[in-house]
Amino acid sequence: MKPASLSFSASAILGMVAMPALMLACLAAARAVPAIAAFPAGWVIPVPAAINTVLGWLVPALQPVTGLASKVFGTLLDALIVTLQFLPWPAVVLAVALVGFKAGGARLAALVLAAGAYIVLAGFWRQSMVTLSLVLLSVPLSALLGFLLGLGAFFLPRLRRGLELVFDFMQTFPAFAYLLPLLLLFGFGPIAGLVATAIYAIPPMARCTLSGLVEVPRERIEVAEMSGCSTWQRLVWVELPSARPMLALGLNQTTMAALSMVITASIVGGVDDIGWAVLSGLRQADLGKSLLAGLVIVLVSVVIDRITAGLFRPRSAVGSGKNRPRWQPILLAAAAVISLGLAARLAAPDLLQGWNETRGIVDLGMLNKALLGFVARYSDLLDAIKNAVLFYLVLPLRVGLAGAVLPMTWGFSMTPAVTAVYAALALLLALRQMAKGRPSGAAAILCLAALLHTGFVAFPWPAALALAVWAAWRAAGPRLALFTGLSLAFVLITGLWIPFVKSLYLVIVAVALCALLGGFFGVLAARSDRFSALLRPINDALQTMPQFVFLIPALMFFKVGEFAGLIAIALYAVVPAIRYTETGLRNVPPSLLETARQLGCTPVQSTLLVQVPTARPALLLGLNQVVMAAITMLPIAATVGTSELGQQIYIALGKADAGLGITAGLVFCLLAINLDRILRGVAGRLHSAQ
Amino acid sequence: MLEARSILLAAAAGFASLVLGPAAGTAAPLGDAEAPIRIALNEWTGQNITAHVAGQLLEKLGYKVQYVTAGSFPQWIGMQDGSIDMTPELWTNNLGDIYPKMLEAKQVEPVGDLGLNARDGWAYTDATLAICPGLPDWKALLEPSCAAGLATAETLPNGRLVDYPADWGTASANEIEDFKLPLTAVPAGSEGALVAELQAAAAADKPLLMRFWAPHWLLTQVKLNWLDMPPCDPNDGARCILPSPVIKVVRAGFGEKWPAAYAFMKQYQLGAEDQQQMMLEIDQNKKEIGAVVGAWVEANSARWSPWIDEAKK
Repeated sequence: MKPASLSFSASAILGMVAMPALMLACLAAARAVPAIAAFPAGWVIPVPAAINTVLGWLVPALQPVTGLASKVFGTLLDALIVTLQFLPWPAVVLAVALVGFKAGGARLAALVLAAGAYIVLAGFWRQSMVTLSLVLLSVPLSALLGFLLGLGAFFLPRLRRGLELVFDFMQTFPAFAYLLPLLLLFGFGPIAGLVATAIYAIPPMARCTLSGLVEVPRERIEVAEMSGCSTWQRLVWVELPSARPMLALGLNQTTMAALSMVITASIVGGVDDIGWAVLSGLRQADLGKSLLAGLVIVLVSVVIDRITAGLFRPRSAVGSGKNRPRWQPILLAAAAVISLGLAARLAAPDLLQGWNETRGIVDLGMLNKALLGFVARYSDLLDAIKNAVLFYLVLPLRVGLAGAVLPMTWGFSMTPAVTAVYAALALLLALRQMAKGRPSGAAAILCLAALLHTGFVAFPWPAALALAVWAAWRAAGPRLALFTGLSLAFVLITGLWIPFVKSLYLVIVAVALCALLGGFFGVLAARSDRFSALLRPINDALQTMPQFVFLIPALMFFKVGEFAGLIAIALYAVVPAIRYTETGLRNVPPSLLETARQLGCTPVQSTLLVQVPTARPALLLGLNQVVMAAITMLPIAATVGTSELGQQIYIALGKADAGLGITAGLVFCLLAINLDRILRGVAGRLHSAQ
Repeated sequence: MLEARSILLAAAAGFASLVLGPAAGTAAPLGDAEAPIRIALNEWTGQNITAHVAGQLLEKLGYKVQYVTAGSFPQWIGMQDGSIDMTPELWTNNLGDIYPKMLEAKQVEPVGDLGLNARDGWAYTDATLAICPGLPDWKALLEPSCAAGLATAETLPNGRLVDYPADWGTASANEIEDFKLPLTAVPAGSEGALVAELQAAAAADKPLLMRFWAPHWLLTQVKLNWLDMPPCDPNDGARCILPSPVIKVVRAGFGEKWPAAYAFMKQYQLGAEDQQQMMLEIDQNKKEIGAVVGAWVEANSARWSPWIDEAKK
């Protein structure tokens, strides 16, 4: 780091004053010029209509190809479903348990048996087999395409940047936004959902393939070159084997992505799968029913995760390598079990069909009663929590301190005197940054103070544009600044500025909540192994549970509106906050902690003063993941009545306006990608500073 | 001359039947009874009952049926590309834009009202009476104390009206504007959100004003009172909340492929009381839908045998 200089040079003062002055000028101008206060409606370009025109031309042109693909995959899917549903469940569960035994020993086999038992007892066997068929069809397809894309990016480094941007779009584009064109292209039914799943599940495999190949040690490649390998031989004999762990990770991540998207995509219908059960439960606000179905997905995810992780573990990493059973007997036994099941099914068709169609015995109906009982008892407390967050966190961001500070809630109002105190405080903080030799830090504080005073919605768009471009420049340089500027210009000309800004502040509030809560739990988990072990399954369940399930308790507790959406977002996005905090803090060298202890730090002091600053890059990376998770949840939170971009997507779906849906989806991606790049830029700078 | 006239009449009748499709009263053969009739199953129990009753009666007529789960929006793509043949319970108050477009392009054909005598309007929980004693008269909402009691942090100083999701239309907001009510309509986002809101308010005995409809399975569990709506212009659907007609819709060409089924579907009716009674069995008593509908069909042959007879004629 540069030594702190106390010099108030002219350039430093200019650096501090220029941006805030621009903000204030914009705010003053906004009072006089309406075109600065709000983007003039006359400047909006009808982007959705243009997209609809393109689609109107594109869809019929593509339909022969997509229709054929839809037929082929539809037939394959039907065959898979019929087969899996035809086999009696004991045969399927046993065969998977055998593979589990191969992958992870008796413990994993027991887990498979328990998961199978739960699915049958919950009465979801048939639906699970449909979902499993969808996964079995989409994962190899996505993994293959992802592998090829990753390979392409490896051989054509020039395309890498572009491809990575495409992957970002694929992962952040809300599925609901492109559902309509997919339905038009592939017809009604599960295939449209399957394509949506593939779009979402391809990038992890592609990214892992690329990074695995890029990170092959230099020496190995040199050895290959010296022994005269051709490019192709080098790939097959050296690079791919070296990248094996990354490829396995990619396959695992692709499977997880497919499992989560399969649920969202079932909103189309066409097959009676687990996702449909979750959605019906949501429609009835029936937590018991949704949770019952959601747990099936959690269990299937856990089983698939452990099996793939176990099968691809490098042999050297397994201590008891000799004890691992070999493939041959396992496969033979599995085949025997399946044929036995088949024979039994043919011998006693009615009995075994009855087995597969068992109605559920597990009933979580009492969960609904408990939930309502809780609401009845604690509704005043819940209201108080909600009002506190709304009055002191959400409203100030939305309408600014100028609008949110009222005598009724804050005990005073923003009289000129209070405003002056507020301005003086901001100035004081800024001067403190100046004293540390950070003029841009001072400028940032002044700009944020202006933003907080006006609120996100009323903040003049030229000021917001300038602020965002400046932040991107400071974080990652001119390239990102240009990208950010173009992104915001796109948002402005599509006329989606207000929904965009509302999404932005909702994400910011959710991320702030997650950082606070997740950070707290993460610190606890880093300090106690027992607490960490307790949190892990909860984290797993929160991440693999269909996101819709979170909406029901959020709604019951906090009613329709932004706050319920906020809670639903936070429940999903808090997981990376916990995980990254824990890992980051645990990776702080013990010697540092020992020194801190010797210097007489209390545990709290050593956490706050030593661990957290040292782990800052990891924490920022975690923050980045929290932002991405929060943005993924936004369109789902729109079903509890938030009024932002997600809502636009549903309105587009209801109006059958594909252009509007895609435009809103694009704005969504731009929001996610810009935030991601800015945060990564900041993390990179911190990393190099250390 | 007389002969020529009768020939003309016969030709006209033949032409009419060609144009109008097989009307009730003419002989209606089964048609392609081997191909299953695919019935859409949407996301709510009431619709599933309507679909299963229709399905079981069509089976009695000699057809094969198949139930296809379909989102209430994506089902129209299914009706377009032929994966779904009919949707037996369509609420016309939240249609979106795709159905009118398909109707105009003659890709679908409505086959009459289901007879569900649906209700749509603003409703309130019992606890609301304590703060707005003038209810059910809509003028009670004009009282400042009423609006203040319904207000939340998001709607202050106005009272809060929980409205249908924004993509179902915004007639509530328009009525609030037209009658200068001190209310703010908060779109709920989804049906589940409306249900959760009402369940939570009933459990906590809190005031709540919301737009809702009947028949709905929740109304067998939770008491809801209907408000006497302000007198609006019934010709203006965008600014006036009216009971939504619930209709049956089939795919274009349904009548040619399955004439008897088409004649039956025109006759088919299902009342709110029947639906609600079956809903209770399925959602509360956790019985299987096929069995519940089967029992209803057994017990109500007097209701449906005329439709079958008519279709067979």
